[in-house]
Amino acid sequence: MLLKTHSVIPGFHLALGFTLLYLCLIVLIPLSTVFLKTTTLTWEQFWLAVSAPRVLASYRLTFGTALLAALINAFFGLLVAWVLVRYSFLGKRFIDAMIDLPFALPTAVAGIALTAIYANNGWIGRYLEPWGIKVAFTPLGIIVALTFIGLPFVVRTVQPVLQDLEVEVEEAAVSLGATRWQTFYLIILPNLWPALLTGFALAFARGLGEYGSIVFIAGNMPMVSEIVPLIIITKLEQYDYEGAAAIAVVMLIASFILLLIINLLQWWSSRRYH
Amino acid sequence: MGIEIRQITKTFHQFTALKEVSLTIPDGQLVALLGPSGCGKTTLLRIVAGLEVANSGSILFHGEDATFQQVRERRVGFVFQHYALFRHLTVFENVAFGLRVRPRSQRPSKEIIKSKVNELLKLIQMQELADRYPRQLSGGQRQRVALARALAVEPKVLLLDEPFGALDTKVRKELRRWLRRLHETMHITSLFVTHDQEEAMEVADLVVVMNEGQVEQVGTPDDIYENPASPFVYQFIGHVNLFHGRLQTGNVRIGDLDITLDSHTEVHQAPVVAYVRPHELEISRESESTSIAVTVNSIHLLGPMVHLELLPQNSTEVLEAELTKEYYRQLRLQKGDKVFVKPRKMRLFMGGK
Amino acid sequence: MTNALNLYLPQATTEPRWVRYLLISFTLIFLTLFLLLPLIAIFVQALQEGLTAYWTALVEPDALAAIKLTLLTAIIAVPLNLVFGIAAAWAIAKFDFTGKSILITLIDLPFAVSPVIAGFIFVLLFGLHGVIGPWLNAQDIKIIFAVPGIILATIFVTFPFVARELIPLLQAQGNEEEEAALVLGANGWQTFWYITLPNMKWGLLYGVILCNARAMGEFGAVSVVSGHIRGLTNTMPLHVEILYNEYNFVAAFAVASLLAVLALVTLVLKTLVEWRVHQQMQDQT
Repeated sequence: MLLKTHSVIPGFHLALGFTLLYLCLIVLIPLSTVFLKTTTLTWEQFWLAVSAPRVLASYRLTFGTALLAALINAFFGLLVAWVLVRYSFLGKRFIDAMIDLPFALPTAVAGIALTAIYANNGWIGRYLEPWGIKVAFTPLGIIVALTFIGLPFVVRTVQPVLQDLEVEVEEAAVSLGATRWQTFYLIILPNLWPALLTGFALAFARGLGEYGSIVFIAGNMPMVSEIVPLIIITKLEQYDYEGAAAIAVVMLIASFILLLIINLLQWWSSRRYH
Repeated sequence: MGIEIRQITKTFHQFTALKEVSLTIPDGQLVALLGPSGCGKTTLLRIVAGLEVANSGSILFHGEDATFQQVRERRVGFVFQHYALFRHLTVFENVAFGLRVRPRSQRPSKEIIKSKVNELLKLIQMQELADRYPRQLSGGQRQRVALARALAVEPKVLLLDEPFGALDTKVRKELRRWLRRLHETMHITSLFVTHDQEEAMEVADLVVVMNEGQVEQVGTPDDIYENPASPFVYQFIGHVNLFHGRLQTGNVRIGDLDITLDSHTEVHQAPVVAYVRPHELEISRESESTSIAVTVNSIHLLGPMVHLELLPQNSTEVLEAELTKEYYRQLRLQKGDKVFVKPRKMRLFMGGK
Repeated sequence: MTNALNLYLPQATTEPRWVRYLLISFTLIFLTLFLLLPLIAIFVQALQEGLTAYWTALVEPDALAAIKLTLLTAIIAVPLNLVFGIAAAWAIAKFDFTGKSILITLIDLPFAVSPVIAGFIFVLLFGLHGVIGPWLNAQDIKIIFAVPGIILATIFVTFPFVARELIPLLQAQGNEEEEAALVLGANGWQTFWYITLPNMKWGLLYGVILCNARAMGEFGAVSVVSGHIRGLTNTMPLHVEILYNEYNFVAAFAVASLLAVLALVTLVLKTLVEWRVHQQMQDQT
């Protein structure tokens, strides 16, 4: 018996049965095929596939750009959340609604739009070029795309926590002689840490797997601006399913570890405040 | 016979909520399940309703075994602590719900439902608010709608879980009286859970005092107050002073005090605790052989009554006493006065330190 | 309401005026560069050669086929995930069972999987060299490089949306109203239909809106399983890619602008529904 306590509410077996069946058919069984596929490789073949120089370069690029973009988002996300919660200004509601644009806009559309802006002759690219800064078709472009994609994560995790913060706590700090900066640094920020970290981890995780917005802006040069998902696609097109599966397994394990960390972070923050 | 509860035991994981509880609720009576939180009273009520299933034991409604009946077959009216009104339905639709979900063959016609619901809304004095939603009502109004909703299905028994728990004192008093009057007109067997002894005493025909999953005492409110069956009941119902002493063949010795009893002559040596209610302590200026010397520690005037805190000599345990204002004036008591108290009545329980 | 309140917050718990203006300016500049500019760029690029060119790009047969396929995909994927979301939320929010937290984590799993891998797993399962590919081929059933593959990959990437919205909502609502309905004599379906469903309708709608936006806009996963056959297996985002790679920028941005409008409609609906959900959550207390 799965149920821990009896309940008079009907439908447990039907609902759970359907949930598990659908979960297995759509998610678990298909996902298991990647791991199954790699079992056809010997350990040596597997190692060779996941540690080729071109693949290693793509890990560095994917993890590096995702990390940098997540850091940028952590900073600006906190700023945006702060401004949206604490200040009032014209167009605030509009801005608040627009924050979710990266969730709603198809990634491919975001990709071509960002490319158009940051290309040499684009609205922003043309002003950067004289300074020798190239964004489109370089790793910098990937960071721009990932910053766009990951923006809502930090804002949307920090915003509610900031909203629920009691003004009394800050007033107490002020009454005890703290300056505004001390209040922020010693009282407000520690309360925001779990949410900020969660948002950062979510943005980072999303960045690792992102494909649509990057392929247009990255230039996709091997060893320089080729991300891991693109390598998987290239291998697929060459019918190297085993090689693609091996790299996919590495990425999946990285994602699962991140998912675990995010769950722990959320558990931590809920335990801290409820 | 109204409701018969036989040998009900209920455990949640390791925790035993109810231990072989047996209880008989007479037909047509309004009965209070009284006890501190966590004593199992709500669990018992939910088992009677069929919302929880007991590990063992049985439930009979009017002599008919209902243990294995589903909730919806039991025909009970249940009033939830936080009302559980359907927030997307109006007052009218909430009350009509139980009639509308009946199988087609037993469902009354639209006109009958309408007149029935209106009748109930009249009873709870909320005809004008029939089209309101629950969020537009005050706490007391919500409670009345919850009650009308439960009554609409013509239940065999009415069960109420802390019916006035979430209301403020004034509304609570009004609703209590209203429930009492309602019960007098409808005479439906009713069981309600409360942790408030005043509420139980004022409303119920019969009070069931529960503690740690067991029934401590069943009796009329007066009975429970005057003759508590156990130390727990004594302490739970109203204030009480404790005197620790020793029992010696019909004699109780408390401090320097000796009291001769008519009973307990067969016991040679035993620790004993005497329970005395504040109003049962007699205060006088003169010493007697059976009185205790105390100092008046503080005086609180509360309407027609006066509460005293008294500090006995060679003790730090404060005694509480209650006397009429008249008698208090007669004594001309002042803070710091030395006076003598004597229990007018007391009840002994074996055990203690 | 909160805006007005914030204005009059005591001076002690806010920053000096110049700091406030500085922070607001920074935020607005950042959001303009990263959010507004790309959005505007799409429409400017699409209309670069006038309305006629824009219109031609949209009514061209391949574009129409792509629009049709995108709609078809969403019409199948969203309701399936909707039914799943309700079942999962019912089981998780209304009952206490062993393995519940693992189940919740597993439901979120597709969000942690790269879209490219999401497409890839279906190739491994149904592709010619896949687990049951050869058998499917013998039966003359085509899933990969065909419409069923696109729909399956879309279902995978949009899998958690509805469930994620409903689980916390149902958990917050508790079981009391359902218990009240059962005591009043309602059966299971009546309880679900008359009590639970009306109570979760806004949360449900919210999940559906997000699910639909992702279903119509998915690129990576669909790209892997589609085979990019024009007029047959191209969804709108894939059609945008093809046009863009052919340097047909006006047409690419024209189709992209449709998707951008979809995103804007999504944001408007989302904001409206969010407001309702928020209200409902407040009624709870």
